[in-house]
Amino acid sequence: MNFIRQYYFDFGVMSDNLSDLMAGFWITIKLSIFGGVLSLIWGLALAVIRQLPGRATAPLRWLSIGYIDAFRGIPLLIVLLLVSGGLSSLSSPIGGDVIPDFIGKPTWLGETSPFWYGVISLTITYGAYMAEVYRAGIEAVPNGQMEAARSIGMSHGQAMRFVIVPQAVRKVIPPLLNDFIALMKDTSLVSILGLADVVYVGRQIQSDIFNGSGLVAGAILFLIVTIPLARLVDYLIAREQRRTKRSGESNDSDQLEETQPAGGLPPNSGDLS
Amino acid sequence: MTATGESVLRIENVHKRFGSLKVLQGVDLTINRGEVVCVLGPSGSGKSTLLRCINLLEPPEEGRILLEDKEITGKANQDGIDFVRRRVGMVFQQFNLFPHMCALDNVTVGPLKVLDKPKSEVEPKARALLDRVGMSAKVDEYPDRLSGGQQQRVAIARALAMDPHVMLFDEVTSALDPELVKEVLDVMRELASEGMTMIVVTHEMGFARDVSDRVVFMDGGKVLEEGPPAEVLGNPQQPRTQKFLGLVLDH
Repeated sequence: MNFIRQYYFDFGVMSDNLSDLMAGFWITIKLSIFGGVLSLIWGLALAVIRQLPGRATAPLRWLSIGYIDAFRGIPLLIVLLLVSGGLSSLSSPIGGDVIPDFIGKPTWLGETSPFWYGVISLTITYGAYMAEVYRAGIEAVPNGQMEAARSIGMSHGQAMRFVIVPQAVRKVIPPLLNDFIALMKDTSLVSILGLADVVYVGRQIQSDIFNGSGLVAGAILFLIVTIPLARLVDYLIAREQRRTKRSGESNDSDQLEETQPAGGLPPNSGDLS
Repeated sequence: MTATGESVLRIENVHKRFGSLKVLQGVDLTINRGEVVCVLGPSGSGKSTLLRCINLLEPPEEGRILLEDKEITGKANQDGIDFVRRRVGMVFQQFNLFPHMCALDNVTVGPLKVLDKPKSEVEPKARALLDRVGMSAKVDEYPDRLSGGQQQRVAIARALAMDPHVMLFDEVTSALDPELVKEVLDVMRELASEGMTMIVVTHEMGFARDVSDRVVFMDGGKVLEEGPPAEVLGNPQQPRTQKFLGLVLDH
């Protein structure tokens, strides 16, 4: 028992290294915010491309579907290694110097290159996850909304922007937050690139003095952020359920349009050109 | 009553199918300016689909539709789509108000975003329209706080905000509780008396009899009979019309 207490919960070790741990956690937070915001934007773009109408845009839809399928299925760690290795090589003489240093070895906003490799990889991978979440939200908006928007003269793009996407985003805020929690935890993978995030700092302590308390401190810091986020998700889901229940009561029956065969047309199908 | 005899809409031999289901099988119909035409018929007769073909929510596969002498149908006729959607307003059975916007925003979003008009012009007009449909006290309410009848009246105002030349009504009272039907029909009556060209798919026989200039009876994707309401409703010629009217007028 004593060993467990000393190895995992040595508060002396935690407090001795507190400033390093906090500095590491600050990097974790920054990675999460940059990666999270860019994933939200990139995911929405992918989802909207996937819903483009008409035959002419089919290649774009296929590209988007292929991208989403691919990057949902590849481990983030592999993406991370390929992005960092690829970008740094291609901007070096060994890789032929084909891309300029400010892209290949980015130090934007004073952050290190491994930081930006992490942000890029998180965006690539979580953009694919979030695109699927947005898609579910877009498809959950009733078909009549698109029809009503088109009937007052909106183009497909205007209908998406002013009518469909605002409703879809509201519906998917809880699952997007869930993805954000997962993204935040996955920032820890960036420590293998030598970025001094909270996990990296904890591992240094562990290998220096054979004590896991630094990593436990890191875990506690994660929980301080993720538990309130998880509670927020629960609250938002409960509120949404109350709201849909209420509007379900005030709306009258929800019959299918009479002449349309059940399940005949997919939601927001390309027919609404 | 107010029809001028000048044709606004010409529907010629329109066909539409969903998969193997032939919903419209050669519909011909001409609508004159200022005319109120009620389309009657049993479920599945194609009357809602006809409305949806007119504003190209369902493009017809065969036949032509001419709006104010301009053909709006045909492959890749984006011009036609823009032309019809800016001149033809539609009101739906399920209202389809935008739930994330208050009543006023539902009415202003079209003129603001589609017609690019300034807010100073759009908003007073939207308030006047909401007043006209009896909703001036609820301009800031969101749809989920409104009854079905109120939502439907806002939906009518939303369509009117685009200054349509023709209004399409797709069973707009079918989803309403009985006590809410009248307030919506009253708004439609008033519109008709002001000379709006209206095509009304409905099961409200009283409305068809009192308000329409012409009644069209559809079955099996075709127009079987049309004429003044007194004739079609009072003395139908076709056996199918007689049977249908017998069923709906009996109770």
